[in-house]
Amino acid sequence: MASSHDADTAGITRRKSLAALGGMGALALAGCTSNDGGDGDDGNDGDDGGLGGDDGGDGGDGLSGEVIVTGSSTVYPVSIEMQERFMDENEDVSVTVDSTGSGGGFANNFCPGDSDINGASRPIKEEEIESCDGNDVEPVEFRIAGDALTVAVSPDNDWVDSMTFDELAQIWNGDDPAETWADVNEDWPDEEFDLYGPDDTSGTFDWFTENVVGEAGNHRSDYEPTEDDNTIVQGISNNEHSIGYFGFAYYQENEDDLKALNIAETSDDEPSAPSLEAASAGDYPMARPLFIYPSADSLSEKDQVYSFVEYYLENSNADWIADDVGYVPSNEEQVEENLSTLEEYA
Amino acid sequence: MASETQTSTTWFGSTEEVGRLRGRVFKWTCLGATVLTLFLMLVFLLYVANDALRPLSADPSWLATMGVTVVLPVVLLAGYYYRRDRSAGEVAYTALGLPIFVALVSGGLWLLFRHIVSPQEWFVLAASILVAGGLVTAHSRVRHDAAVERLVVTVVVPLLAVVGVPTVLPSLRDLLSLSPVLPNALFSLVIAFTLPIAAVVGWRVRAVRDADRDGAIAAGITVAGGLAGVVVGPVFGVHPTSWLVFASPIVGALVLYVEHVVRNDEGVSGLAFPIVVAAGIFVGLTAAQTLGFAGPDTWLDMQFLTSSTSTTPADAGIYPALVGSVLIMIVIVLSAFPVGIGAAVYLEEYARSQGRLGTVIELIQVNISNLAGVPSIVYGVLGLAIFINLIGMGRGTAVVAGFTVGLLILPIVIISTQEAIRAVPDSRRQASYAMGATKWQTVRNVVLPESLAGIFTGTILALGRAIGETAPLLMIGVSASVRVSPDSFLSRTGAMPRQILSWSTQITTEFRYGVLAAGVVTLLVVLLTMNAAAIVLRNRTQRTQ
Repeated sequence: MASSHDADTAGITRRKSLAALGGMGALALAGCTSNDGGDGDDGNDGDDGGLGGDDGGDGGDGLSGEVIVTGSSTVYPVSIEMQERFMDENEDVSVTVDSTGSGGGFANNFCPGDSDINGASRPIKEEEIESCDGNDVEPVEFRIAGDALTVAVSPDNDWVDSMTFDELAQIWNGDDPAETWADVNEDWPDEEFDLYGPDDTSGTFDWFTENVVGEAGNHRSDYEPTEDDNTIVQGISNNEHSIGYFGFAYYQENEDDLKALNIAETSDDEPSAPSLEAASAGDYPMARPLFIYPSADSLSEKDQVYSFVEYYLENSNADWIADDVGYVPSNEEQVEENLSTLEEYA
Repeated sequence: MASETQTSTTWFGSTEEVGRLRGRVFKWTCLGATVLTLFLMLVFLLYVANDALRPLSADPSWLATMGVTVVLPVVLLAGYYYRRDRSAGEVAYTALGLPIFVALVSGGLWLLFRHIVSPQEWFVLAASILVAGGLVTAHSRVRHDAAVERLVVTVVVPLLAVVGVPTVLPSLRDLLSLSPVLPNALFSLVIAFTLPIAAVVGWRVRAVRDADRDGAIAAGITVAGGLAGVVVGPVFGVHPTSWLVFASPIVGALVLYVEHVVRNDEGVSGLAFPIVVAAGIFVGLTAAQTLGFAGPDTWLDMQFLTSSTSTTPADAGIYPALVGSVLIMIVIVLSAFPVGIGAAVYLEEYARSQGRLGTVIELIQVNISNLAGVPSIVYGVLGLAIFINLIGMGRGTAVVAGFTVGLLILPIVIISTQEAIRAVPDSRRQASYAMGATKWQTVRNVVLPESLAGIFTGTILALGRAIGETAPLLMIGVSASVRVSPDSFLSRTGAMPRQILSWSTQITTEFRYGVLAAGVVTLLVVLLTMNAAAIVLRNRTQRTQ
């Protein structure tokens, strides 16, 4: 019984499988194309081009490969704008941007040779150059934009409108920091500070320490340090007795929640409000330069890195740096100077 | 004697009433805790969903239209199922959930076909595997009793077919991909993707219905569903290949499920539910479009899922990060799961519990439990130290990310697998031994099949934990802004949680509320789908046991 059943099904199956095979063969023949690496016509983004083979690949003479950018969270907004605009023109280059802090990027990524470009919101330090040198990495300095470092207090704060470097140093120094507002100025309330600032891997911290507080490394440590400037903004806007500092772009985005202080370098100077115009005119004392540091080897060995840096420098005087990102663009002169420096590494 | 009496009188003789107050307070406190938890979860989910979808930004008439065409029928139907036909209700939710779940899995496959294994490569790979499988089967037929030889053949033939000997002997796969004529992408997929699925569906239906014709019909429907894309796809603006990858598994799964429901003849009316939902959405959208009602301006839309991140919030998307997360998940599945399951099988089935070795095993066991509680950042440091600094693998690549997060969930995989194996009743093992089976035969034929569903449940839940991990990814340098999807496991990749974190630090508020919420919802949908699959699997095993 079983065997006859088997024989039955076997017969049918054989005929069927023959038919099926024939059908498949016909289909396969119909679908055959010459094997020239697919007929893909799709770009890089995922909207529906179907699955017709490899996307991109090494087509023609276009650039390809990776560009790895790390470094300052202050330079990060400029870098991702550059990344997006550059990649719109060069589809096969993969630029990745990470925000690690200026110092963190030099120490962990750039100097060990893991990244091509490091952004920094302060000039590179001597010991960082030495550390890079130990790994045969040569950083090339380009100044790409300026920032107006902003000191802000809560909008509820009605006793202070401007400060001098000296007053700021009284608040932020580490040796003998002021504990209450009244410690700095007797007219101010006898309330403790609530302090917010970037943490010590940040170039903003380094710049502030060096130029405002005085001796490098003498910044007080009992404040709320954070890598995320939005946290500083939130902390300040929620607390009447708070004060903190961060890049101008964050102030520009949150103008309603914050009150920026006018800053004077000494009490003889006229205090000036933070603005991009004042920073580029040199009136605002806390204007600071922003840098990128490509490695010399990456520039000369990787075409895509060279092109990206070239694009970066050429566009560092673009209007969108002020309008979209909130930084001071470079001037023509700076761009020319940068480009001539870059040519040495071609 | 006297003292005994004394004690019993003080104990029982107390005239105080038994206080019930404490018990009640405790009960209500527990209830309060439960309600609070659920409430907080609900508020959070609604909050994020509202930010991501912004339903209130829609035209009120649009909302009304959708209410009438979708919400009302769904509520009515659900009410009907609840009052009249509970089993139909169960069928209804499964029938709605199944295609959505399969679609998400197919989405993962689609990403693979697009970025890792192109359809033609897959065709060649499948053909090589088929040939290897055929050879192994043929060998076991011809030389029935040569056990050692069979072991060698089983290992060597597939290796030769797929990998070959590097620089010495090209594999069958390499040879095939050199062939001058290969089917194009669409037909590669039809042959090596749709047909196998249809074959499985047909074979299964044929087996349960014991009828060749039904099997053939089931397989035919599956193939037809996949091929319909050639005709229907362009109408909806879907490329036929994409249609094929999504439609074949969905149609196949639906055929299997509908057959199952119809055969059991229980709750058949529940099958109407997904149709009502789909038709309602279709009618609602068409009506809204013809009447010119504006839909909600959501952050989470196709554009978000298919484009890469941008500095303009409206253009930002999660696609490369999604691809990165899928690659990382594959690495985890291929690396941590075999190791974890293997370790668990050894610890449960083979490891001795007595003697000096038993003490060592116990020590290992305690340490595995401890490792499950180690903070994820520690694993990040471990991954950085071992994989990147010691071995020298690339920073921020999918392999390193997968290995690192895989290490993180390894203890969880081991523990949950051990529990699944422990749940197999000892009487089954004893029965197997009593039949004269060896240890290996018992493990292979009794323990593993019995515990498989439990193992899957545990590992899927562990995988769910893995895709949400952010701290290890930060340590191993997964970049904040990646705009190109990784095209191999060795290129720099993004990942969904990392992308969400970098949006949270953007200056523009739209990123921190809208785009971020859309990313969170995407991650949650993937996660909840996986958890739902795990729960369904667990329920099924509990029912069969």
